[in-house]
Amino acid sequence: MAHKYDTSDFRNGLKVVIDGNPYVMTYFQFVKPGKGTAFTRTKLKNMLSGAVLERTYRTGEKVEAADIEDFTMQFLYDDGEFHHFMNTETYEQVAIVSESIKDEAQYLTENLEVEVLFFNGRPISVQLPNFIEDTIEYCEPGVRGNTATGATKPATLSCGATVQVPLFVEQGEKIRVDTRTNSYSSRVK
Amino acid sequence: MPALHPHYLRARAQILRAVRAWFDQHGYLEVHTPALVPAGAMEPHLEPVQVGALQLHTSPEFAMKRVLAAGLGRIYQICPCFREEEAGVHHAREFTMLEWYRVGAGTPELMDEVTDLIQAAARAVAAPVPHFERHHVAHLLSPDLPPDDWFFQWVDRIEPTLTAPTIVWGYPAWQAALARTIGPVADRFEVYLGGLELANAFAEEQSAEVLRTRVAENDAIRRDLGRPPHPTDPTFLEAVDHMPRCAGIALGIDRLVMALTGAPHIGAVQVPSPPPTPSSAS
Repeated sequence: MAHKYDTSDFRNGLKVVIDGNPYVMTYFQFVKPGKGTAFTRTKLKNMLSGAVLERTYRTGEKVEAADIEDFTMQFLYDDGEFHHFMNTETYEQVAIVSESIKDEAQYLTENLEVEVLFFNGRPISVQLPNFIEDTIEYCEPGVRGNTATGATKPATLSCGATVQVPLFVEQGEKIRVDTRTNSYSSRVK
Repeated sequence: MPALHPHYLRARAQILRAVRAWFDQHGYLEVHTPALVPAGAMEPHLEPVQVGALQLHTSPEFAMKRVLAAGLGRIYQICPCFREEEAGVHHAREFTMLEWYRVGAGTPELMDEVTDLIQAAARAVAAPVPHFERHHVAHLLSPDLPPDDWFFQWVDRIEPTLTAPTIVWGYPAWQAALARTIGPVADRFEVYLGGLELANAFAEEQSAEVLRTRVAENDAIRRDLGRPPHPTDPTFLEAVDHMPRCAGIALGIDRLVMALTGAPHIGAVQVPSPPPTPSSAS
């Protein structure tokens, strides 16, 4: 019997199964009409397709917990169709369809350690480190002395990702990027 | 400890000042009734906070009806109310209720009054002045659904569409609570502002006999939910028989402040309560 979550267990990040697919809860809210019973409104993101589902649950209603395991793995290479990873402990190799991890793939560089998530024993997605450090391969030159807050320009990193950086940041510099928000965090000295 | 938000607290004070001024201009008497009462709720899905043998009121309705029966005319009250098991973005266990009763009037007059009052509150904080659409609830959702399905559909499909300022009226009779019924319809309405259920109004049922029947129905609903029946207040039922024809409305002040200021959650418009200390935790 699969483990189940009750509406009182609901929280952001909860991983559940709906119609056989794994979902992660991204939003939940207690709702109670003045004259009626309590409900929980939720938003759930399909971990395979990224599609967002809105669902309302009655208080006490149960949802099947997703059997999700994660392993630390190293990114090896991308063959155009699949991204290949290797378990750093067992040296086992797995492949994930590139299309399903295209948001994360832009930050993957050879040997980067990530968490690979398995649903029912099948690798489905990767979790990047919250911050990565990379060198700016290209950006427009900065305007000397311009420290105006808020003004930014696009910078392409050597991994291929593009992030907005402050105007004073120069090509060739190493920067720290928050992969959760795709945003510049700081320069790395 | 949650943060305290001075901006929202100032807006709250401005709104309350406008509300009290409005009631002064419209000939209402401010009353104060006890929060600690023998019977804190009648409706089956409300849970009062228990304090020893007494309860904290879930609304000041029962006591205000005793005041109405004593012949004081138009009355209003702004007071803390308490509902157990309610916590969320739009729900707090302790919240502030504005409740008023207009003698000799029905729901149409109250619809105009609540609109005028909310518009005055909006002007007090320079918020956009809302204009309300009015919708019969049967045009939004079938009155023939069983209660459980009706509320599920309401929360799941209908309520999220009520983003414009809206007055919803003509609820099915099984949702009458303390309102009078006209055939299959309860003579009550609700007010939505900023997508929030803001207020609930009744043309008040004036027969204690009718309300005794509803108490018995509510007891049965609670038995099915595995909950004890609510205690009843005989002085309230006695008062109902002597109450003049009137219409009453309860409006959540915290939600009004949220809707007019855009505050992200109910806690932002309240002074936060400190977390329980180890010795007071039960």
